[in-house]
Amino acid sequence: MANTWGYGAMTNSLGDIQNAKAIIIFGANPAVNHPVGFQHFLKAKERNNAQIIVVDPRFTKTAAKADIYAQIRPGTDIPFMYGMLNIIFKNGWEDKEFISDRVYGIEDIRVEAAKWTPEKVSDVTGISVEKLMQITRVYAKSTPGTLIWAMGLTQHSIGSSNTRLAPILQLCLGNMGEEGGGTNILRGHDNVQGATDMCCLSHTLPGYYGLSAGSWKYFAKSWGVDYEWLAGRFKDKKMMSAKGFTLARWYAGVLAGKPGEDKIHNGGTNLKAIFVMGNGITSIAQQAKVKEALDNLELIVLADPFVNEAAILTDKQDDVFILPAATQFETSGSVTATNRSAQWRYQVVEPLYESKPDHEIMIEFSKRLGFHKEYTKGMLIKENKTSYKFPEDATDEIARIIKTIGLTGWTSKRLKNHTDNWHMFDEVSLRGHGPMKGEYYGLPWPCWTETHGGSPILYNIHRTVKEGGMGFRNRFGLEHDGQDLLAGAGSAPKDSANKDGYPEITAKNIEKVLGIKLTTDEKKRIGKNWKVDTSHIIANKCMEAGIAPYGNAKARAKVWTFPDQIPMHREPIHSPRQDLAKKYPSYKDKANHYRVDTKYISKQTEKDWSKEFPINLVTGRLVNLNGAGMENRASKYLAALTPEMFCDINPGLAANHGIRNGDMMWVHSPEGTKIKVKAKFSFSVPEDRVFLPFHYAGHFQGEDLSHKYPEGTKPYAVGESANTVTNYGYDIVTQIPETKGGLCRVEKA
Amino acid sequence: MKKYLFLFIASLFLASAAFAADSQIWDAMRVQNILGYGQEGSYKLGQLFTMLQANYFAQVYLAVLVGVPAIFVLHYLFLGPKVFSHDGKKIYTFSLLSRIIHQIAAISFIVLIPTGFIMMFGSSFGGGSFVIMMKDLHGLSTIAFGIIVIPMFLIWLKDMFLHWDDIKWLMIVGGYLSKTKKPVPAGKFNAGQKTWYWMATLGGMIMILTGAAMYFLDFNIAMINTMTGLSQIDLLRVSALLHAVVGLGVVILFFVHIYMAVFAIKGAINSIITGYKEEEEVEYLHSSWYKKLKKQGKI
Amino acid sequence: MSSEMSRMKFYCDDDRCIECDGCTVACAEAHELPTGVSRRKVVTLNEGIEGKEFSTSVACMHCTDAPCEQVCPVDCFYIREDGIVLHDKDICIGCGYCLYACPFGAPQFPRDGAFGTKGAMDKCTMCAGGPQETNSVHERELYGQNLIAEGKVPVCAAMCSTKALIVGDAQDVANIYRARIASKGKGVQSAPYGWSKAYGN
Repeated sequence: MANTWGYGAMTNSLGDIQNAKAIIIFGANPAVNHPVGFQHFLKAKERNNAQIIVVDPRFTKTAAKADIYAQIRPGTDIPFMYGMLNIIFKNGWEDKEFISDRVYGIEDIRVEAAKWTPEKVSDVTGISVEKLMQITRVYAKSTPGTLIWAMGLTQHSIGSSNTRLAPILQLCLGNMGEEGGGTNILRGHDNVQGATDMCCLSHTLPGYYGLSAGSWKYFAKSWGVDYEWLAGRFKDKKMMSAKGFTLARWYAGVLAGKPGEDKIHNGGTNLKAIFVMGNGITSIAQQAKVKEALDNLELIVLADPFVNEAAILTDKQDDVFILPAATQFETSGSVTATNRSAQWRYQVVEPLYESKPDHEIMIEFSKRLGFHKEYTKGMLIKENKTSYKFPEDATDEIARIIKTIGLTGWTSKRLKNHTDNWHMFDEVSLRGHGPMKGEYYGLPWPCWTETHGGSPILYNIHRTVKEGGMGFRNRFGLEHDGQDLLAGAGSAPKDSANKDGYPEITAKNIEKVLGIKLTTDEKKRIGKNWKVDTSHIIANKCMEAGIAPYGNAKARAKVWTFPDQIPMHREPIHSPRQDLAKKYPSYKDKANHYRVDTKYISKQTEKDWSKEFPINLVTGRLVNLNGAGMENRASKYLAALTPEMFCDINPGLAANHGIRNGDMMWVHSPEGTKIKVKAKFSFSVPEDRVFLPFHYAGHFQGEDLSHKYPEGTKPYAVGESANTVTNYGYDIVTQIPETKGGLCRVEKA
Repeated sequence: MKKYLFLFIASLFLASAAFAADSQIWDAMRVQNILGYGQEGSYKLGQLFTMLQANYFAQVYLAVLVGVPAIFVLHYLFLGPKVFSHDGKKIYTFSLLSRIIHQIAAISFIVLIPTGFIMMFGSSFGGGSFVIMMKDLHGLSTIAFGIIVIPMFLIWLKDMFLHWDDIKWLMIVGGYLSKTKKPVPAGKFNAGQKTWYWMATLGGMIMILTGAAMYFLDFNIAMINTMTGLSQIDLLRVSALLHAVVGLGVVILFFVHIYMAVFAIKGAINSIITGYKEEEEVEYLHSSWYKKLKKQGKI
Repeated sequence: MSSEMSRMKFYCDDDRCIECDGCTVACAEAHELPTGVSRRKVVTLNEGIEGKEFSTSVACMHCTDAPCEQVCPVDCFYIREDGIVLHDKDICIGCGYCLYACPFGAPQFPRDGAFGTKGAMDKCTMCAGGPQETNSVHERELYGQNLIAEGKVPVCAAMCSTKALIVGDAQDVANIYRARIASKGKGVQSAPYGWSKAYGN
């Protein structure tokens, strides 16, 4: 996404979905995962007669509300989308003007799409030619159409290709930057967008600044600490700029060196300690490895409101610490919604018992580890204070530093003002009225200046930049293969001083692009470019001229730094179709992929996995539980809805294995692991796949670990974790685990 | 459509056994009983029950409670009781076992019937704890009856089959409509007693089963549903209807039985206490049996 | 809401209900119900079958001619002026007749007595408590919160994530329903299920 047009976030908003005429949903189940947000889908259908199209391996609750449903084989979204593109190009349904002005590299897509004839797509995906035609016609003809996805598209070894082809489909239909269009990726948890923006990631600094020395220096300056001091905290400067382990593979950092384990590149040492804050370790694929890693650590610290089940999973007895963290109701601060809007969250009650809010825990650690001063200095700089007020000063620090995604306008005062007056905003357009006129609810980023009203729809050139308009970001240079990467003439945001495409704004080019003259004083104060300009001169001048600080370029269908320049279909590492796995093999193995050597083709061709494990395994979410479920399973009424771990199995498949509804059954994984779960008959899955919810923990490979919970902390519902049987397999770019397209074998217990 | 419906229903039956966190009454069946949704398969028992329970059951029971004793009073006044000599010989009629069984049944009925009436007219008693106590007593005495109903059924079964005498007995209503004393065609048990026997045992078992179904409410036996084709809630409705209808028969015959034993035939009640019937009583009221006994030389 | 002849009603729009169970959990949580009791429950039929699956949220529909009230042998039911059907747990004997009469499976029977006997019936009160003094401890223990007395919306409808479940004066509810049907421009039904149609009249 970010590699297609600049930002990797939901482009429109949930409310805006009400403007759509067609809604196509790939690998997302908003009826379950976003029940409140789903009302906008239903309203679109009710008021706008929007056609809802669901493409999912499982007949979900969302599918139950769809007009057209396609039961796709897991991991074949790319052939499906190329099939759609094939039909679109063949019939000339693409938006030619949009493509020529605002998209680079579509020619390569045309060539690849031509190979995916509907018949071929049908063979690979399992969707009939007629249904593919029907879906394509309905979607291409009902504009604007919005494209929704979530983990069903990303959690594949080709996830990063999936998430490029979906935007390309939208670009071809001219659905980007339109009300009721866009690519709306639904974030799965409370404040995930905020956590991502703030760099709960191992490969970048906050605000996606990356890890280059220049970025570190910008942050050192902004935090008021010495760059060399920062660098001194690392083994060396090379490690300072090296991507870290990902959540999906941290265990490899512990287990490296043991027979059969992947090699790591971690500065010559294994991981020795883990500090977990609010993350369900049990929600990560390959739980048997996670357990082994936990057992081999020297120190485990878990800070959570409920007992993190990592403590239950591990056999480690000593040096495991469980810290009581406060819940979101016991603290305050800003949170970011899926659509890049912020909201202020007020404290409801004081932290109960000995629990402490997360930031207090971290600040206390910084004191004991001896860098409290440096850690908190950023909050004092702006007004030269001697003490900070959390979280207001932290929020203002973020607004002061993060320019890349335009958080300048997100001051604590403004965010509180929005939350206090939320009734003054429209649910569809997010526009405020009365005193909030001119602002959009939650100031969806980029919110370029302290008076900017936010940008509810990314890449919308029908609005002025001040009203949230912008073209695509100029992020990938000015030209490639001799072709101009800036937007075509006339495709600038409304009322722009520059009607053409233009590069991102720097101190050097500002006068030329904006057609203005800077004063000497301004020239002295201006930052090097828009991303580091804390003087706000670039942003303010841009607003006046109707120019988006990040430039106005073309989106790109081709990413020349990726293993596949255009998205290509590759069968999952564990594919039930070995014939296709030979035709569409996985990537070459990748060395030092977030510090771990990761297997692709060698794993895929290790043996014919489908012989022993013929059933596709899909995991997903239940409406009453969230993430690893430790919070929700501790709620009596939520746990009562699904008191036991189960496996959705088609009665036909179950009959073949002599499994009756309610029987216990084993699910075996190619990893050599197994789980014992209750069979639940369901027609939502066909006979070649089963579904497991991933919220349970407390049992491990048939063994009940209930006795390990500290007294009084056992949740109302415990069970096997689906992730004990999810397969090896990670995305080639992001290393997200391939949990939506593995294999398994079922057997009566 | 039919195929799906079948699949769905089949899966439900299986589901009912497995996911019994909730009884199916409050699960999918909850919707099936809304006519707007489940008209196709509905027996409309809900309406039937509502209509009968709201308008008829209590009234009919009240009529029985008042009317049947009233008829007895009239009968007693105008036709009078049968009086037989208590000085003659006695015939051993009821073994000790049969008397014990009868006494247990008698006690349980004496509890069951008034408590049943109290529940039915619960509003007159103000509901609440008193009626709940009666309800619990009703349930407890059922246990006693439940224990002896099968032995009772078996020990008297051989004497209870239909006989030519019974038709004749019924034609003259056992001779109770005349004052004259003449032999009435009947074996050891007359047609009236036989009717009561069948009502008390088979009817009693129906009462136990339907009562238990209502008592345990959300019991979960998929087999019953599969066999009867009824959803759980309809099974309960059938139970309530049967309990009321069969109960009515039981109550009427119970009243008759009491009247006969205590009032209509002077001293007849002694036979079930001592086991001996008056020879004269047997001679007249069980003439066929009397003849048979004579023939066998047992008298 | 017009003061005269207003009748409070629930209505669940199947086109909007997504079986999120928000209503069920909100209800149980607000009234601190035992886990075996579901005053409100979402039921899904034909699960996993394309074109046939639908969900709806069911509880007491506060019927105009409430069958439960008609069959109760101890007359523990009473119907408020605003149409909310309530009952007195101190009078109820737990016989279950109301359940047999109810088309919606609304009456619930907690098994709290000895030998699994059913205690007094429990059902949706439309968050209007019971016959005890309003907002008294006794009322709260027996019937849960009394939100209607505080001028609030029943928790289930307030929590409904897609606004499938609506509650209010029958006329207002019918207007919302009609507006939704009209904007869809298809599938017009004469009236929502349940109110008078439950038993097919």
